[in-house]
Amino acid sequence: MTDATLGPAQSRRPFGISATALVFAGMGAFTLLNIVIAICVGRYGVPVGRALEIVAHATLNPGAELSEIDERIVWLVRTPRVLLAALCGAGLAVSGAALQGVFRNPLVSPQVLGISQGAAFGGALAISLGIWGAPLLIMVFLFGLSALAMVGFIARIDGRTEIITVILSGMVVGALFSAFVSLLQYFADPNSSLPAIVYWLMGSFATATWERVGIAAPGMAIGVFLLWSLRFRLNILSLDDAEARSLGARPDLERWIIFVLVALVVGSQVAVSGVVGWIGLVIPHACRLMVGYDHRKLIPASIIAGAGYMVLIDTLARTMTTAEIPLGVLTAIVGAPVFALLLRHHYREKGSK
Amino acid sequence: MIGLENASVAFGKRTVLDKLNFNVPRGQCMAILGPNGRGKTTALRAMLGFQPLASGSRVAPQVVGYVPQYASASQSYSVREVVVMGRATGLGLFGQPRLGDYAAADSALERVGAERFSGERFDRLSGGERQLVLLARALATGSDVLVLDEPGSALDLANQQRLLVMLDGLRQQRDKAIVFTTHDPNHALAAADTALLMMPDGPALFGPVEEMIAPAPLEALYGVPMRLVEMEAGKGRTRAVLPAFAGRRAA
Amino acid sequence: MSPANSLSCAGAAALTFALLSTAAAYAQSIEIVDQENRTITLPRPAERIVTIPMPMASGVIAIDGSADKLVGMNPLSLTAIQEGILGRIFPEALSITDAVTATNFVPNVEALAAANPDLVIQWGGRGPEIVDPILNAGLNALLIVYGNETNTRDYMSNVATAIGKPERIEALVDWRERVQQEIAATTEGLSDDERPNVLYLGRSLSDITASGAPNNYNNWYIELAGGKNAAAELEGNQSINREQIAQWNPDVILLNSFEPELDVSWVYDDPILSLTTAAQEGRVYKMPLGGYRWDPPNQESPLTWMWLAELLHPDLFDFDLRSEMVEAYQVLYNHALTDADIDEILWVSFQGDGAGYDQFLAD
Repeated sequence: MTDATLGPAQSRRPFGISATALVFAGMGAFTLLNIVIAICVGRYGVPVGRALEIVAHATLNPGAELSEIDERIVWLVRTPRVLLAALCGAGLAVSGAALQGVFRNPLVSPQVLGISQGAAFGGALAISLGIWGAPLLIMVFLFGLSALAMVGFIARIDGRTEIITVILSGMVVGALFSAFVSLLQYFADPNSSLPAIVYWLMGSFATATWERVGIAAPGMAIGVFLLWSLRFRLNILSLDDAEARSLGARPDLERWIIFVLVALVVGSQVAVSGVVGWIGLVIPHACRLMVGYDHRKLIPASIIAGAGYMVLIDTLARTMTTAEIPLGVLTAIVGAPVFALLLRHHYREKGSK
Repeated sequence: MIGLENASVAFGKRTVLDKLNFNVPRGQCMAILGPNGRGKTTALRAMLGFQPLASGSRVAPQVVGYVPQYASASQSYSVREVVVMGRATGLGLFGQPRLGDYAAADSALERVGAERFSGERFDRLSGGERQLVLLARALATGSDVLVLDEPGSALDLANQQRLLVMLDGLRQQRDKAIVFTTHDPNHALAAADTALLMMPDGPALFGPVEEMIAPAPLEALYGVPMRLVEMEAGKGRTRAVLPAFAGRRAA
Repeated sequence: MSPANSLSCAGAAALTFALLSTAAAYAQSIEIVDQENRTITLPRPAERIVTIPMPMASGVIAIDGSADKLVGMNPLSLTAIQEGILGRIFPEALSITDAVTATNFVPNVEALAAANPDLVIQWGGRGPEIVDPILNAGLNALLIVYGNETNTRDYMSNVATAIGKPERIEALVDWRERVQQEIAATTEGLSDDERPNVLYLGRSLSDITASGAPNNYNNWYIELAGGKNAAAELEGNQSINREQIAQWNPDVILLNSFEPELDVSWVYDDPILSLTTAAQEGRVYKMPLGGYRWDPPNQESPLTWMWLAELLHPDLFDFDLRSEMVEAYQVLYNHALTDADIDEILWVSFQGDGAGYDQFLAD
């Protein structure tokens, strides 16, 4: 692509490819624009100028009393919701990109490792037991991680973990936890916990509050930051085990570091907004088409584009109709066709090699 | 610099390496020869530390420049990105390559004569070009040791020639310990100082290329009649090994 | 007489006997055409009834005036009995099995057979999957269709016929008709401006739902009581967000009685909802839970209408809800309601100070 056409002098600079900078600038603008639009639109009419003024005022005067309904809607409903969507989108996209890297398989997502299903079970169990807030987050994270640990345990044969056995084990563990979730739903109280579980499994940012942002942000930030810090290492881990080892990596151990970080991010996301599919698959693919395969560009691109895309989808979900459109419906309707195209692109390219 | 001391490896009941001993000092290049399944690759993996030893030990520096036979090309990085990965050893888990690392990568590319496709995508290169890039990556590690897994075995003759010339050039500089496996004795002749023959029965034979790449040890190694020929090639006389396969009878 | 003839004579005699005995059975048997136009024939009034739709358990108790005929019910009917007053009026109802069906209305055939019912009441219009297991077990199924007031009266009458108490249902239907007419007479002439915007939230705690369907029962009684549905633009029962509620800015918010942890503080403590007109004027009410939950149609529906009409138009109506309740509970359950019972049903503890609620308080 762009790299190939450049002369040696230009390609000598590590990040001097202006096309990439342009792509990043475009992505950044897309995400920022989506966030601003998302804060300015909603079912309750608030003029754009007024919405921005409210955000500016509340940011500059933290703790100030908000007495008007438009102030509360913009600052207590829309802003946390948009931030939460951005955080979750970034987290899901970066998790997908990282997993696809270490599995050397572009069709992998947190669902494939059983993390999402494990986390979903943890959350459903917490709801059944009447647990909300931070303890729910902890349960979600622990079950996401234990699903991962089970995958690791099953897939580890003779001290080695083959990629394909990890994927198959992930499917097995994911199916098991899905069954547990169904079981919980079966026994849940249909007047209180069942609708809560069903609603939560469908995924939504409708219940976003600053408190929830506070719950999700630490794990999400740590996970995303560390995955971003590992971006060059992800390049190494995407190689053959032998090659990676010869380059000083300990692939087995470091893969698990990535998995734990992914569990942290996905767990935090699932805890506050339920199961949201497709983002971790579609965004990294789209980003690869735009910035290439190098994780040093792919990871930041996925973070930015994931945030913007999730905010866009959520804005559509809450504004298109009087009713809230379930998030999962929109991510699938947009995601499935896009993914089908990417899939064709991927295999056509693979076939041409 | 790099070697094995009384190294044994067994897969189940089958002993693959039995008290193998060798050490390649700086400035020398050793070829490991043997038919398939005799432990060439196992010896190489043991040397790199990828293969746990049943007994014995491995002598190697922290960082070894390794050139795999094939590269994993599932991720489509640019050539420069691939070569700069060689710098990962010094960067740790969270490190990012800096300008100095890119300079090292570029000079390694230059050394193997691959700087012209620095910006191209690795997975779109030909097999020979890929091997050069992987060699550059091994050089970029800055290690004094290079280990190559059957270099050139998958290449056509012209590309084999190109790679062996490159390898011989690195050998002549006498600043590295180099080890490569091969199933072609001519590769040892072209680029090695010493050779280790993984004999079918009994201990491995070790010696200078002049003694090892000779009809008698090679016939014992491969079970194929061999002949050494000398011929005019390029600037002077070169030697080559010919196997006498059961082919068409001479008239 | 040839052997063949004697055989045919015997056959004719047998046939005549069979016809006669069937006719005899029909003389005392009960025939009902249910709301899916199926004909159910019961040899005698049903003595053992299983109810699978939630509101029907208390419905059967009310129509019969006792819990004696109910031998199995939906787990959710049981929780309503446990949470509400019915469990205290009919303690024996608390030990009736709820194993006969899952909450998704799929019958457990073994538990159903063990309960040995003469009649199983099941939802109609929801496909054969939930009906066939009952029929395959050789049991009688009476299907009921939920939704509007007409359907409610029809299925209540069908059930009354099935248990052999048609005279009782007449009184109940008559009461419904009387109260409905009385309220409608007052509210019919109301102009759009005079009708407050009423938002009924079917769910609140996890997901907020509202309904705009014209055929929706809540919608129907909101209009009957002189309000208008704030969520009328919705298609069916759907998820909504707080911002949308702020946009509608309802004058009255009705909370469901299904979620046990829900009370009006959910609205008053919410930064957005607390600024709606409804919250500002103290007009947030949780639907009462009496012999059954007052939100869906049930035997106590006229009380729901009176309660809501008094809340929406205290100046237009003059029902004495407390004495109406005492009277109704006497008829329905043969139970004398105490003041404490009434306070509990109406959630006086947390909404007694709501706007207009003083009229419902004991003197």
